[in-house]
Amino acid sequence: MNDITTLMSHDHRSCDESFARAETAISRGKWDEGTAELEKFIAELETHFTAEESILFPRFESVTGMTEGPTKVMRGEHADMRDAVERMRDAVARRDKDDYAGEAETLLILMQQHNMKEENVLYPMCDAQLAGENLPPTLTKQLGREQAA
Amino acid sequence: MTAADLSLSYEAAPTFSTPLRFFLTAPLFGALAGGVLLLVPDLLGSRWTPGALALTHLIAVGFMLNIMFGALFQILPVVAGAAIPNARVVAGIVHVGLATGAASLTWGLGAGSPPFLTAAVVLLGITFGVFLVAAGYGLRRTPIAQATPRDLRFALLGFGIAATLGMALAMILSGGLSLPLATVVKLHVGWAWLGGSGLLLAATSWVVVPMFQITPNYPARLTRYWALLTCAALVAWSAAVLAGFSLLEFILAIALAALSGAFAITTLRLQSRSRRSVPDNTTRAFQLAMSCMIAGLLCIVAAHRFDHDAWPVLAGILILHGGFVTAIVGMLYKIVPFLAWLHLSQAGMKAPNMKKLQPDGPVRKHLIAHAVALTVLLIAALSGSTLVVRAAGVLVMLEFGLLFANLLRVLGAYRIARNA
Repeated sequence: MNDITTLMSHDHRSCDESFARAETAISRGKWDEGTAELEKFIAELETHFTAEESILFPRFESVTGMTEGPTKVMRGEHADMRDAVERMRDAVARRDKDDYAGEAETLLILMQQHNMKEENVLYPMCDAQLAGENLPPTLTKQLGREQAA
Repeated sequence: MTAADLSLSYEAAPTFSTPLRFFLTAPLFGALAGGVLLLVPDLLGSRWTPGALALTHLIAVGFMLNIMFGALFQILPVVAGAAIPNARVVAGIVHVGLATGAASLTWGLGAGSPPFLTAAVVLLGITFGVFLVAAGYGLRRTPIAQATPRDLRFALLGFGIAATLGMALAMILSGGLSLPLATVVKLHVGWAWLGGSGLLLAATSWVVVPMFQITPNYPARLTRYWALLTCAALVAWSAAVLAGFSLLEFILAIALAALSGAFAITTLRLQSRSRRSVPDNTTRAFQLAMSCMIAGLLCIVAAHRFDHDAWPVLAGILILHGGFVTAIVGMLYKIVPFLAWLHLSQAGMKAPNMKKLQPDGPVRKHLIAHAVALTVLLIAALSGSTLVVRAAGVLVMLEFGLLFANLLRVLGAYRIARNA
């Protein structure tokens, strides 16, 4: 099934795994590896946000006419997560393991409650509203990853 | 705009006090359960003693339902896009109704008092009625594209059935209704355990386990069919109970136990494949919860095979205290600091990070106290020693006291940050 919900949820899981790789390295005090893994995670997260903010959300907004609805909420949460990621970067730069663990935990729950809203509510709405648009190939290209099985 | 469009925003989320009032009340009922063990140590002799019935409902209604209802006010908008209308007012009614209803019910059961049982029927009847109507209203037009929003609906239905059966039981006991007690008890236990709590735990786990513990997803076939099969098996089992087909009833009970076991084993297997290198407190809590569920199921099977009073008591302790209480506590430790963080940052204040709001150390201490209390409780049920039961009572009071203190600590950190 290559609908929007499946594709984008799959990308969420892929970001989660990158998050865990950075967390593992940093918790073991491998700062160089941890920094590199964190940057990889941040790049992946940004790619995902961009796919939504530049492709998915505008299409949803133009088809439904809803610009003040769920997409606005999701954009706001993207901004919160970008702030959280900066605090993680800062903790890594200071080599502060405890602070990193706390900031990472904060991002994780922020990110997961956001993902729950998207996967359970917004993406299914997108699948219903944008059925004729054939967006998954465009999204896959932007995400630059293998399409979800 | 539909309800779903608005429900995702922070503005639609309930105030911090809405879920928190439930979360802070629940440990008090838990501690009260410890007090009952301390004062009435002969109650673990059988599941039918008035004390055991009171104890079960202090945990199931006073603790579990308080947190489940409090959490549903918070998570229905997030996982199902359903905002409960007038959440603050509804939460006020449900909170007061549940607390007074749970207190009346446990006193009515423990002391064998018909007036208290009748009061419990009225109070809990209103509570469930208001909550289910409000949640149903919020859910009425939201999409059901995923397993979790669908299974949450099943769980609400299961709770409705369990509550109706429970009210019928209270009326039988207070002499207001004439129905076969043993049959209604069996149905009430089945629906409360699996139809309500079990379905809610599973529906929540489908999203919570993979997301927060970064494990692979649950197999699609499990999330797609588990709740449907469990509901269908429960309905068939209920019919067999009512018709008195004891062989069919036994076979269906085994099927229900197998379904519960499949859920618990799958969860443990997923957790063993977590990408997080260090299991956090919530993961540990879930591992304990699932192991206790499996052990509890084995005790249920043993209770069918061997006629000894200890098996059902052990099953009850393992499933309620070891299974549900542990899993609930594990999730609570994720929800509460996050809500504190969310309300602070949405109010434009600098929010301390999750681990500053809720340090790991005290949480670990509480979970250890909980595991020790559980172990001593099991030994108490097996040995029947009054001294061990009293010790278990003290430990249960201690563990819920630590939970209460940990929740207050988050609230304290929240207040300091808010006033900074």
